[in-house]
Amino acid sequence: MRPYFETMPGFGKELKENRITRTQESRAKLEAVEAEIAALRKARQEVGIPAAEINKRGSMTVWQRIEYLVDKDSFLPLHSLYNPEENEEGTTNVVDGLGKIGGRWAVIIGFDNKVLAGAWIPGQPDNILRVTNIAKRLHIPLVWLVQCSGVKMTDQEKFYADRRGSGTCFYRHAELEQMGIPVLAGIYGTNPAGGGYQSISPTILLAHKDANMAVGGVGIVSGMSPKGGFDEAGLEELIAKTRDMRVKPPGSVETHYDATGFFTRVFEEETQVLDGIKEYMRMIPAYDPKFFQVAAPKEPQLAANDLYHLLPTNQKEAYVFDEILARLVDGSEHMEFRPDYGPEIYTGLVKIDGMLIGAIGNRQGLLPRGYPEYADYPGIGGKLYRQGLIKMNEFVTLCGRDRVPIIWFQDTSGIDVGDVAERAELLGLGQSLIYSIQQTDLPMMLVVLRKGSAAAHYVMGGPTANRHNAFTLGTAATEIYVMHGETAAVATFARRAVKDKDAGKPLKPIADKMNEMAKKYYDTSRPAYCAQHGFVDEIVNLKALRAYLKGFAGAVYQNPSSICPRHQMLTPRIIRG
Amino acid sequence: MSEEVTAPLSGKVWKILVKEGDQVQYEDELMILEAMKMENPIYAPVDGKVAAIKVAEGDQVEPDQVLIIIE
Repeated sequence: MRPYFETMPGFGKELKENRITRTQESRAKLEAVEAEIAALRKARQEVGIPAAEINKRGSMTVWQRIEYLVDKDSFLPLHSLYNPEENEEGTTNVVDGLGKIGGRWAVIIGFDNKVLAGAWIPGQPDNILRVTNIAKRLHIPLVWLVQCSGVKMTDQEKFYADRRGSGTCFYRHAELEQMGIPVLAGIYGTNPAGGGYQSISPTILLAHKDANMAVGGVGIVSGMSPKGGFDEAGLEELIAKTRDMRVKPPGSVETHYDATGFFTRVFEEETQVLDGIKEYMRMIPAYDPKFFQVAAPKEPQLAANDLYHLLPTNQKEAYVFDEILARLVDGSEHMEFRPDYGPEIYTGLVKIDGMLIGAIGNRQGLLPRGYPEYADYPGIGGKLYRQGLIKMNEFVTLCGRDRVPIIWFQDTSGIDVGDVAERAELLGLGQSLIYSIQQTDLPMMLVVLRKGSAAAHYVMGGPTANRHNAFTLGTAATEIYVMHGETAAVATFARRAVKDKDAGKPLKPIADKMNEMAKKYYDTSRPAYCAQHGFVDEIVNLKALRAYLKGFAGAVYQNPSSICPRHQMLTPRIIRG
Repeated sequence: MSEEVTAPLSGKVWKILVKEGDQVQYEDELMILEAMKMENPIYAPVDGKVAAIKVAEGDQVEPDQVLIIIE
């Protein structure tokens, strides 16, 4: 299939000088938001005990462990700002992302040992759920850096129990193993109770000499017989027991290496544990990327820096999506699928690091006259109409058949509405797209370039509507909400405004409420909010987007659970005709 | 030879990005038309000189109305 893939048709054009000039203000706004996100990320890294203090105690921080573990510059952080329960610690107390270890991609997660000695805290189980799902979806190893003091006792009701509670990661480890996905653990420090299960549930346990893991720690052992209250005599007994347990913490290396043999290996130095993980990563099945590359990798012909002039911060301003895509894919080359049909949507095959990827995105701006064909009103980019929905259904289905992973790019205000649109079957076609995605069982990722809104945010590969979305990225221009705040305010207050007007009441109170509602929508749709509440898995600088696309492509092609020989693919033949 | 740039649909002229006498190239942005709640760039269909601007910022325009003439 070399004639199809080695050199695909080029697309995209050099930026015009007048556009660069005209978009300086927009660029400055994008960079300001990126700087704000970077500052929040840095603050998040610095919570808890200072790194120097941890080092003085002879330990590395989780950040230092990750830095030592991964191949240089390969770590792609995820969930940096995730803190859905708005914990006072400012974190879910785990650090995670995609990274290469010894040339192989893994999902990496570690407890932040600077904060409450790596305790379980609210929001953390959802963070861990996301991470185990990424490993499952990408079919790559999960690497844990365990140092977990167990439950933060004062908040246990927020995360201990529940169908999505903290204990669920243990069966999820079993689930990954059931699928042939290994879980490697580097184990440090004291790991009682939940920390013990964090340590025992992975596939290979590599322990530091001072590590321990246990069903219960000193606090639990001392307090296991409730007596209906506390008094001074009881406290004396408790103190004696606690002192005793402090000198003999349960589940040390002596117990779990020498006696039970649960620890696979034990290391003297912290860095040796990480070297051990590297060694085990080299034993894990992984294709050489060349096996799946359809062409030699090459950088885009057009500069990533241009993205700051192509993606307007002004949500009302149209732009050319193809120009953005051309700055993200190998050689600025593509094979567009059905260019003359469904003009509001781009679908096509592209290469990322030489590997084939399906790309789908919203086109913006004015659409050809007479489109949508079912209506007497004009169409506008960003909305979904009948042809665009059919085209996405077709393309997704073909990618599923050809085992080509998909990257979605959203900037959508929703599916066309009204009785004409209903007659044109848009409701059914939107759900059909969810069905088509589900049928593919393909790994996918999503970039919300700007707006993610209404049902279109779901159906276009959104994390809410399918389990194939490995992760979702946002940009400095991202905003996500069910609809624009002003539209929502009109929908909420219009009838009441009529009633009040008819009753002769003043209208200002309603106008104030509407403004308040619109402001709330604005505040709760900003990039930092989207990241904090998990609408996206990370906000990424425009310049860094391609690194994530490469990480996704490298990960999904590392050890796919299903493959299609390139000479048996249909999509490129259908495109060529 | 001149080329008329027309409004593709009804809308309001939001910004005019060129002035009469300017040299423009194919696909340069000429003006921004606010339509369907979006600000849509209107591009030069050919290389040439802006011979006349037939509308002003804030004008409401109808489909096929001439916006700019390029020579």
